[in-house]
Amino acid sequence: MVTARSPAAASAHALGGRAEARPARWRRQLGAKLALLPLTAVVIVVYLGCMLWTVRLSFSSSKLLPVQDWAGLQQYGRLFANDRFLVSAINIGIFGVLFIGGCLVFGFLLAVFIDQRVRAEGVLRTVFLFPHAMSLVVTGLAWQWFLNPTLGLQKLVRDLGFAGFTFDWIVNQQMVIYTLVIAGIWQASGLVMAILLAGLRGVDEDLWKAARVDGIPAWRVYLSIALPLIGPMVVTATVLLAVQVVKLYDLVVAMTRGGPGIASEVPAKFVMDHLFERNNIGLATAAATMMLVTVVAILAPWIYARYVRETGRCP
Amino acid sequence: MRMFRLACLATAMLAAAPLTARAEMRAEVLHWWTSGGESAAVKVFADKFTEAGGTWVDSAIAGGQAARTAGINRIVGGNPPTAMQFNTGKQFDELVANGLLADLDAVAAEGKWQDVLPPALTEAITRDGKVYAIPVNIHGINWLWYNKKLFDEHGLAEPTSWAEVAAAGEKLKEAGLIGLAQGGQPWQERSLFNAMLVGDAGTDLYYRIYRDGDQEAVRSDGFRKVADLFKQLQGLTDAGSPGRNWNDATAMVLTGKAGMQVIGDWAKGEFTAAGQVAGQDYGCAIVGQGGYLMGGDVFVFPVVDDAASANETQATLAEVMFAPETQIAFNTIKGSVPSRLDVDVSGMDACAQKGAAALKDPARQVPTTDFLISPDLSGALDDVITQFWNNQGMTTDQFVEQFIGAMQAAG
Amino acid sequence: MTAPMMADMPSGRRPRRVGIARIGIYAFLLTSAAFFLLPLWIMVTTSLKPMAEVWEGNILALPAEFTVEPWIRAWSEACTGLECNGISVGFWNSVRILIPSLVLSILAGAVNGYALSFWRVRGANLLFGILLAGAFIPYQVFLYPLVRLFSQAGIYNSLACIVIVHVVFGMPIMTLLFRNFYASLPVELFNAARIDGGGFWTIFTHVLLPMSAPIIVVATILQVTGIWNDFIFGLTFAGRENLPMTVQLNNIVNSTQGERAYNVDMAATILTALVPLAVYFLSGRWFVRGIAAGAVKG
Repeated sequence: MVTARSPAAASAHALGGRAEARPARWRRQLGAKLALLPLTAVVIVVYLGCMLWTVRLSFSSSKLLPVQDWAGLQQYGRLFANDRFLVSAINIGIFGVLFIGGCLVFGFLLAVFIDQRVRAEGVLRTVFLFPHAMSLVVTGLAWQWFLNPTLGLQKLVRDLGFAGFTFDWIVNQQMVIYTLVIAGIWQASGLVMAILLAGLRGVDEDLWKAARVDGIPAWRVYLSIALPLIGPMVVTATVLLAVQVVKLYDLVVAMTRGGPGIASEVPAKFVMDHLFERNNIGLATAAATMMLVTVVAILAPWIYARYVRETGRCP
Repeated sequence: MRMFRLACLATAMLAAAPLTARAEMRAEVLHWWTSGGESAAVKVFADKFTEAGGTWVDSAIAGGQAARTAGINRIVGGNPPTAMQFNTGKQFDELVANGLLADLDAVAAEGKWQDVLPPALTEAITRDGKVYAIPVNIHGINWLWYNKKLFDEHGLAEPTSWAEVAAAGEKLKEAGLIGLAQGGQPWQERSLFNAMLVGDAGTDLYYRIYRDGDQEAVRSDGFRKVADLFKQLQGLTDAGSPGRNWNDATAMVLTGKAGMQVIGDWAKGEFTAAGQVAGQDYGCAIVGQGGYLMGGDVFVFPVVDDAASANETQATLAEVMFAPETQIAFNTIKGSVPSRLDVDVSGMDACAQKGAAALKDPARQVPTTDFLISPDLSGALDDVITQFWNNQGMTTDQFVEQFIGAMQAAG
Repeated sequence: MTAPMMADMPSGRRPRRVGIARIGIYAFLLTSAAFFLLPLWIMVTTSLKPMAEVWEGNILALPAEFTVEPWIRAWSEACTGLECNGISVGFWNSVRILIPSLVLSILAGAVNGYALSFWRVRGANLLFGILLAGAFIPYQVFLYPLVRLFSQAGIYNSLACIVIVHVVFGMPIMTLLFRNFYASLPVELFNAARIDGGGFWTIFTHVLLPMSAPIIVVATILQVTGIWNDFIFGLTFAGRENLPMTVQLNNIVNSTQGERAYNVDMAATILTALVPLAVYFLSGRWFVRGIAAGAVKG
């Protein structure tokens, strides 16, 4: 039986927390523990196992097939002297910040505007969501055509008479990463909009009424009141976007093939190319390990504070 | 009643026996030929194999990298295909080293492969004295394709040297056209560079760099001259070139927007599909000193049932693929040239005949870098070459140094 | 589609009278819609042109010579190897892979999210942290060890294999989604059910699952897209008999040395995307209703 507690204590604890005798708790949690077995198995066998395997191989000289020898830091030495890898690290940083920021802002704006009870909301929502449904291989090609100076926007505007107009970012080594950002925002904003819209629709109707009664302008209600309330949804959207940033591969291959030259290289493509095409598992796993280390370094404090410490309300 | 049933069963089994023996010639073949033209070419193999009593089970996966990855994963996972495609070269070395491929010595000896293949090809399919792959074609990589009508209009003759190519391109550029239509992907830039290296600096220098790993050869004047010419050709391409697929570049040539393209003989398919005729609407040429850069495809046979040598199905498949009639039929559709030199190519188109004639001269048989260097080094050099092509500020000196740097790191 | 929504509780703000604000709203939405539809325009117009016109290179122009042949070819005639039967070949395989993977991965995510948010099992959050970190690794790195693992377990290259792979790789995001969603529900709900004598599974099935409609919709959208468009896992793990539609799509679109029929490629891509698109379109009504039905109120 549950020990009686004051409501204050109940809300002060994180969800489901109880202060009880140990054995009773263990038994009561049996259902939960059993239910979590698949998760445990997957994490240990698949995720931890593969992570360790990857790190192990980064210290070997594996080429096409894994070899269990020891090559010390040779692969890492080669990795950090490799232009493509260094370029990819810079690119993913630029892309990550702009893509996540852009998608969140654009997605939020779309959600807010759609929330205004516009006509044909269903159609508009599907229009904004559909890029997410399509395979990037061909949508990337469509973007490549559109951004290509001889085929797309530049040609169009020049044909209209503006002879001096230039928009050749995609063939420019300094600017090509920004074309990827544009296509990326195109693909992912709809999903952010969907998530944030779900959150906005869940906000208490009374809140809107109260704000209107108080005479607060609409945009302030959204920014200062609604946005903090849908915080968890924003977090979820950010995590989803961050995962897409790290895994960025299909879009690059479809749009620029890593070019011009090596200017739009990204880490996932670096790993992929070396893993398979170049028969160099050692170098690829070294790159993957560096990616993992970076991700863990950024994520770990946040995950620890939010989830592992188990204090305060979970997001 | 029971005896009757048993007798029926026995008869049925006996009757089925020859059928089951037949059905064991089931070959699952993994390859990356998926477009319409390539599919017709694969059909040649499949039909001939069926005639020989086998069943062809097709496992096609587009994109060489995806197909090879899938195949290797299957071999490692214990569910290997009967035969698998690779490019001629060093891609499957480790599979052999790990004992995962069956050898074809018996088939090769019986078919006297060594006598009819170019020596470079024989070398490419042999590891430790045993034959592990069957070459089914030779793709010429360093062809120059040009729009004959445009050339005639501007009074240009078929270029015989790379300097002439540059000059022709300049003339077309002055006339407002695009001199060189180039697909902007690293492998195409590398092909162009190697074509110029062989054509301008000669096969000796080519071998010294790629086969012998001689870094001083990279610093030579011959190499630097090619590098400068390479940069000059870059100036003849249009702004939209980076990232472009090779088909789009070919489309530019055949619609008359551009004058020339340097790409392998698979481009013929595009010209033919557009209804153009070699020698009339378009021309094909091997530019320079004559070295014919040979690429191509091979099939390897993963070990099945722990047998070190090819089993009956695999041997039959190999024999079928290498038979002269199959080679002619396959390559006519594919656009390449048969890997065996003893077949009658008079039925093939003008460009294929040019290629076959070039191959008759052993001095002109030059393997692509795939035969000579590891995929790792090849990739590293790709990175350097594509940077040199795309980065306007990179000098020849920097290019030379980075080229050597890649050879040191990946060699 | 708007009619049932109007009949529900009003959601969002009451619209002001038609003024500058309204015009501004529509202007923004329509401009954004144009931005989103641009590549689709290019793809659709290209898919309705013959190749000769595509080569001319006017990507935004309407077809001068209108033809639906690319669509027919994409569905049933395009070559994907020796066979020339278009992408229709893999359609049912994709469905057979999608349904179990979708159901199981959402179930796994929901159970995990529930267990993590309401039951404080020791160490569970650490596992979740590792799971989240694992979501950031490029999945290509997992291919080789997983192949070895499955082959030793004897189920390599089978439907079970690919379903397990999808569940495993969907787990981080699914768990995150459900965990955050359940965390935003009031704990009194859970406590009340416990007081009433509910156990782990009874509370899950009778209390939480019925309330999870909105998050299940989001999860479905994500998983349907991810599983339906997946290529590399299907190629590696499903086995020759179960290859999904994306493999045929890849075969049509990505030939290396063969000719490229862009119009067929575009048609094939749009056809492949129709299933996720249908899911998006149909899920729209649930988005509004489920949430407005007091899921989060106390």
